[in-house]
Amino acid sequence: MHLVRDLLDKAVIDRNGREMGRADRVVLEVGRGSPPRVAAIEVGASALGQRLGPGWGRWAAALLHGFGVDHGQPLRIHVSQILGVTDTIAVDLAFGQTPAANVECKLRRIIRVLPGADR
Amino acid sequence: MSAIVDLVLGVVTSIGGFVEVGSISTSAQSGAEYGFQLLWAIAIAAAMLALLTEMSGRLSVMSKRALAAAVRERFGIHFQVVPLAAELVLDLLLLTAELGGAGIAVKLLTGIGFQWTIVPLAVMVWAILWFSSFAVVEHGIGLLGLVTLSFVLAAWRLGPDAGDLARSFVPSLPAHDGVRYAFLAISIVGATVSPYLLNFYSSGTIEEEMKREDLWVNTATTYGGNMFGALVAMGVLVTSAMVLQPLHIQVDSYEQAALMFVPAFGRWAVTLFALSLGIGCIGAALEISLNTGYLLAQVFGWSWSANKRRDENARFSTAFTVILIAATGIAVLGFDPLRLTMISVALTVVVMPVMVLPFLVLMNDRKFVKDRTNTPIGNAILAGLTLVGALFALIVIPLEVFGG
Repeated sequence: MHLVRDLLDKAVIDRNGREMGRADRVVLEVGRGSPPRVAAIEVGASALGQRLGPGWGRWAAALLHGFGVDHGQPLRIHVSQILGVTDTIAVDLAFGQTPAANVECKLRRIIRVLPGADR
Repeated sequence: MSAIVDLVLGVVTSIGGFVEVGSISTSAQSGAEYGFQLLWAIAIAAAMLALLTEMSGRLSVMSKRALAAAVRERFGIHFQVVPLAAELVLDLLLLTAELGGAGIAVKLLTGIGFQWTIVPLAVMVWAILWFSSFAVVEHGIGLLGLVTLSFVLAAWRLGPDAGDLARSFVPSLPAHDGVRYAFLAISIVGATVSPYLLNFYSSGTIEEEMKREDLWVNTATTYGGNMFGALVAMGVLVTSAMVLQPLHIQVDSYEQAALMFVPAFGRWAVTLFALSLGIGCIGAALEISLNTGYLLAQVFGWSWSANKRRDENARFSTAFTVILIAATGIAVLGFDPLRLTMISVALTVVVMPVMVLPFLVLMNDRKFVKDRTNTPIGNAILAGLTLVGALFALIVIPLEVFGG
């Protein structure tokens, strides 16, 4: 597998087929005397921001912290939770039960006040 | 049968949705200042748009991804941050200009100052987006936009000389003010090939669940719709050239542009012009707002669709709402809509290479488009026109701006 081509930036889908975000960062595990191996992928604006630069990462984390997203930390998905990699990365999680859904859920509560939001 | 209906509807709504604030203002100014001489620029711009929209539909059908999502996967976020930022800025400027244009249209009809009607118009745009499906946004407004055919009717009634029109499709040097001429040519391209159209069309192909066997509908719709749609923009230019140029009226405002309809339509002139401008602007405002939602959702991997419940795609729904609020805020501050339009369309050409060139790479990557890659001729034409246009824009815009 080519990490950049096949994993990084790909859409991440939960077990119900719902979009969770994109693989914003790949976490590697480096053991003594053994080649690096993929430990996890991270989904979230703070991970994406870190890739663009530390300042962007801090800014994104602070913003997410304001929305109550797990202290602004990205969602780390362990490699054992990855079900398969095709055009998307399917993971054995339910989006609504992860901190990554906090922004969506908060906005949903606001939106539901408006007429027609459930049409 | 369904494919034929889709084709007819697609072509008709493309014609109805072709002109908006940018194409009306650039074509009207070109006609008033240079007669028919810039018709070639409209033809080239329409051909570019037809090629690019056909490609964006083909990309979505073959890869099951919209354009922005494909760029993120192929080039990564480090590259995409540049076209993403450029498109967001252009979307904001253009949306502000469209709301201003719609406000001017209401002013022409009612006499109420355009800044007073911006907020109600923005609320109307938001309400249409909030309560309607994708089909209503695309086809409903496109059908209403057929009123813009009045530009073609006006030009036909004025009886332009066929030989003069034909000669204008060959680029020629102007008799006066070459910088202004080049600036208008660049602006016509920028007004026609708006970046939002590509991602919007690509997302629409996914919304409508177009399949590989329907690719011929995509090709016929994009080529037919854009080429016939270009006739409307040409109608604006020809009418302006035949009415405004002999009177030495330069189009410094939309109110002046409305005068071009007087010889053809008499007392209906202002009403028809206002309806054409207003519906064109509202249609474009709907598409730009929705495109901002599509763009952000696809880049960041959020769920998106104009056909799903708004609360099921909360971040997508919030994104198109927020850009509409931001554009309304800027429009209310009182920017001249015509000036804002001209700045946005000229800037579009400058940033076009960072959007079109990666798109061309995608269209030659079998991982995305499988066996439906671009032809070398299509690649060469689009890459050449994009780079030449951007180079010209970089030279001409400072000369135009600093030369007054």
